[in-house]
Amino acid sequence: MTNHLPAVVIDNGTGYTKFGYSGNNDPQFIIPTSIAVRDSVGQAGSARGQTVTGNLASKRGIEDLDFFIGDEAVANAKTYSVHNPVRHGQVENWDLMEKFHQACLFQYLRCEPEDHHFLLTEPPLNAPENREYTAEIMFESFGVKGLYIAVQAVLALAASWTSGKGDQTLTGTVIDSGDGVTHVIPVAEGYVIGSSIKHIPIAGRDITYFVQQLLRERENSIPPEETMEVARRIKEMYSYVCPDIVREFRKYDVDPATWFKRHEFVHSVTKKPYHVDIGFERFLGPEIFFNPEIASSDFLTPLPEVVDGVIQSCPIDTRRGLYKNIVLSGGSTMYKDFGKRLQRDIKRFTDDRLRASETLAQHNLKMANSQDQVKAGQLEVKVVSHKKQRYAVWFGGSLLADTAEFYNCCHTKAQYEEYGPSIARYNKVFGSML
Amino acid sequence: MILLETSNKILEETLRERFNSGPEHLLIKLADFDGVTYQIATPESKTQLVISMAMGCYDECQRYGADAILQREYGSLLVSTPEPGFAVTLKIDLEQLPATPEAKEQLVQQVAHLKRNALAAPFESAFVAQCEGRTTDLMAVHYRDAEAIYCQAQADRVTVIFSTVFKEETDRIFGKVFLQEFVDARRQPAIQNAPQVLYSAREPPLEIRGQPGLVDDENVGYVTFVLFPRHYATPQARNEAIGRLQLFRDYLHYHIKASKAYMHSRMRARVDQSLKVLNRAKPEQPGANKEKKTASGKTFRRM
Repeated sequence: MTNHLPAVVIDNGTGYTKFGYSGNNDPQFIIPTSIAVRDSVGQAGSARGQTVTGNLASKRGIEDLDFFIGDEAVANAKTYSVHNPVRHGQVENWDLMEKFHQACLFQYLRCEPEDHHFLLTEPPLNAPENREYTAEIMFESFGVKGLYIAVQAVLALAASWTSGKGDQTLTGTVIDSGDGVTHVIPVAEGYVIGSSIKHIPIAGRDITYFVQQLLRERENSIPPEETMEVARRIKEMYSYVCPDIVREFRKYDVDPATWFKRHEFVHSVTKKPYHVDIGFERFLGPEIFFNPEIASSDFLTPLPEVVDGVIQSCPIDTRRGLYKNIVLSGGSTMYKDFGKRLQRDIKRFTDDRLRASETLAQHNLKMANSQDQVKAGQLEVKVVSHKKQRYAVWFGGSLLADTAEFYNCCHTKAQYEEYGPSIARYNKVFGSML
Repeated sequence: MILLETSNKILEETLRERFNSGPEHLLIKLADFDGVTYQIATPESKTQLVISMAMGCYDECQRYGADAILQREYGSLLVSTPEPGFAVTLKIDLEQLPATPEAKEQLVQQVAHLKRNALAAPFESAFVAQCEGRTTDLMAVHYRDAEAIYCQAQADRVTVIFSTVFKEETDRIFGKVFLQEFVDARRQPAIQNAPQVLYSAREPPLEIRGQPGLVDDENVGYVTFVLFPRHYATPQARNEAIGRLQLFRDYLHYHIKASKAYMHSRMRARVDQSLKVLNRAKPEQPGANKEKKTASGKTFRRM
């Protein structure tokens, strides 16, 4: 590993892109996955390469370099049009994505892509075509030395090894909750069990909306244009998960002084300060994972039930491992006691099921006139929380890319030139056609 | 983003954050253009920030006076014996930072330009010598494995020659077009004062002929800049010239990649258009839309 420059790890999420050099504990940059372009260039479309701009070919200057990414894109939203090339975890506009990568590499990381290996991430159930397009961009435009495309869920599992609680296995259920959507992904020995993956349309943004709605009903000191931002800040700074709502309400009634908070915000334009009282939304926000009916009427299954269902739909010999290692990843799993509550609720399901099968077996034995007692074995349910949870995917990638084996697992430029983009369909670690 | 910045963004942001918030344990490894790597660490205590830089060509830069430049820029921050494996080490005591935000920011900028300052040595000595009317020997800095910068002060000018290797054939062609454009661009009235740029593929220019380590290969190109006193007489112009010259190789490769990205987006647009044409041209299947009869005598159309 002596002569290698550090590999570059890029995790493109729907909301934020996390990227940096491998071997570090935190990504060097966390920027919104947004790109601001001049209106005439690269109109956003839905499908691949939808830039149907009549004047694309008539470009004569350097308009294609006139763009911003990340926070700069958001800051320039007034004069440029801002696009998000990633939607629901999938890249939708490859033109913009290529530019986005270009700025990431040259402006932010300052690396010559020809000298580095790259680790990119993909969502579970990503279409192989998308993987090919990614390989095309990385090898053709940037000429990278080597490329590895890893599944986010597997990286999140690898990141949980640092918690020191579980043993280092690649079997487990990953609950990945970011800004847009929450995935529950079972992984058995590094293979994603694709048929059992479930998505829940409740994630960080929904919690923000819900908190905003609660605030709107009560607080009138917040300027209307700031409510979203205020709700987001409250969510990030004060929210936690409670064991029982009813008791929590009572706690607030008995002792308001310790539970109700007050926060001073400053208006972003006029710089006038204003106060917001923070109350029940502290625990009601994250509660929508466990009681979705309080916020929406179109999705009503609580998260623990979904997780239980996902594991139950997996092959029977993997289920014990999946219950034993439930790994959290993403910003929306950061609430205090989230893991504890989840573990307790899932445990309830499994215990109920065990008890039911116990009585059933007992009943059958009685029919057979046996005096034996049936005792069901214990099933261990464990939810693993760890410090790196927030950028778990990136951190897992950074760990992986820092090992010597990583360089053997990469697709190299020579291979790409020999076989073409279809090499990206093949994963060396698992040795199968994915 | 047309020009690349001369400072390192990660260094800049990390330091700015460290200077303006409480102490924290830190260990970051990062890279920069041309195989430079940095390490930011707090090995002894959380308030002692140690920034080390490894650079392949530092001993060459040292020969041309890099130590003096770094001493001038960083003074007491410079540690006399660098960390093992690194060429330069700076140590910043977070408890003894300058008081004003402006001074802090200046320190941040200074440290973020670490690589630039180290690599400035040959240019600076050439510029200074030329201003004093001296000439220098040809100074070579092998800043990448197979690529080098040559710099020489002559009687009335300073010549800077880059050798660059294109790993891919398409890159070479793009590079050639790009570099020929430099010659044409100079005819524009606005930039007539720009330095003269000469490009030669494969054949090394006269100045560096006979130098050891020149590779005779299709993929090698040489770019020559001829700088006259107006480009480096004032300190400000000199600083800018040094920054631009150093980054020229990365600038060139960045723009080759950007033009490829642009070509790709045009190709995608073209493919999309052609697909539409193809879809329109689908022939009607004869008999596909004919009325059929069931046994009971009803007719239906298969869609």
